[in-house]
Amino acid sequence: MNNFFLCLGMGLFTLVLLCLYRGVLGPGVLNRIAGICAIGTKTLVILLLMGFIYNRVEMFIDISMVYALLNFIATITAAKYLEIKGEV
Amino acid sequence: MTRVTDDIIIRTVARVIIPFIQIYALYVIMHGHHSPGGGFQGGVILGASFILYLLTHGLEEAKVRMSEMKAGLFSSFGLLIYSGIGLLCLILGSNYLDYGKLSTILRVIPAQARSLGILGVEIGVGITVMAVMFSIFFDISTGGTIPEDEENLREER
Repeated sequence: MNNFFLCLGMGLFTLVLLCLYRGVLGPGVLNRIAGICAIGTKTLVILLLMGFIYNRVEMFIDISMVYALLNFIATITAAKYLEIKGEV
Repeated sequence: MTRVTDDIIIRTVARVIIPFIQIYALYVIMHGHHSPGGGFQGGVILGASFILYLLTHGLEEAKVRMSEMKAGLFSSFGLLIYSGIGLLCLILGSNYLDYGKLSTILRVIPAQARSLGILGVEIGVGITVMAVMFSIFFDISTGGTIPEDEENLREER
């Protein structure tokens, strides 16, 4: 079962790299925001998979909750920025 | 960044979610010594709840809950708790921040005194980090000047 989680984590990691490419080089603000939000969600799942691998899910669930929360605030901040700027 | 908008969805969601964020932050601070987290991480989450309030409810309402002066006072108060516990250990005749000696004041065994001492220090660190996080965001969002100050300056000219 550990190997399955490991492979899943590595697959997600490649997807994170693709999103990072979009987040750094993506043309325009909207592409960057979408890329960064996708990275946040994937990191949350990777953290939980790490918890399954090390057999300490209850510890890693704390960290992933914080991550989800900060991701939510980052999304609201980005939306506010776009609203005030008035254009994309 | 700080303009008030009539986003009823955002405001309602923030109003519902902020108490849970703060309770979770207190949990992270309190469980710092047997799970991940601690004073700094809990303080960051607590500061994030205030930042969320400022973002969603605007600068004027946020200043009622947590003004610049209160943030400064809180950051000094947390530092006072930290250094006060350290100095108390020094006065009782051991090293700085060596909580074992606190057992003579708290009337518990030294191991328990160490646990309580680190808890007090973490509470101090959490308060300081919360206030400093909010203060930094406050300064960034106002650009270093508070709107009413700008108006006063304009009137003087």
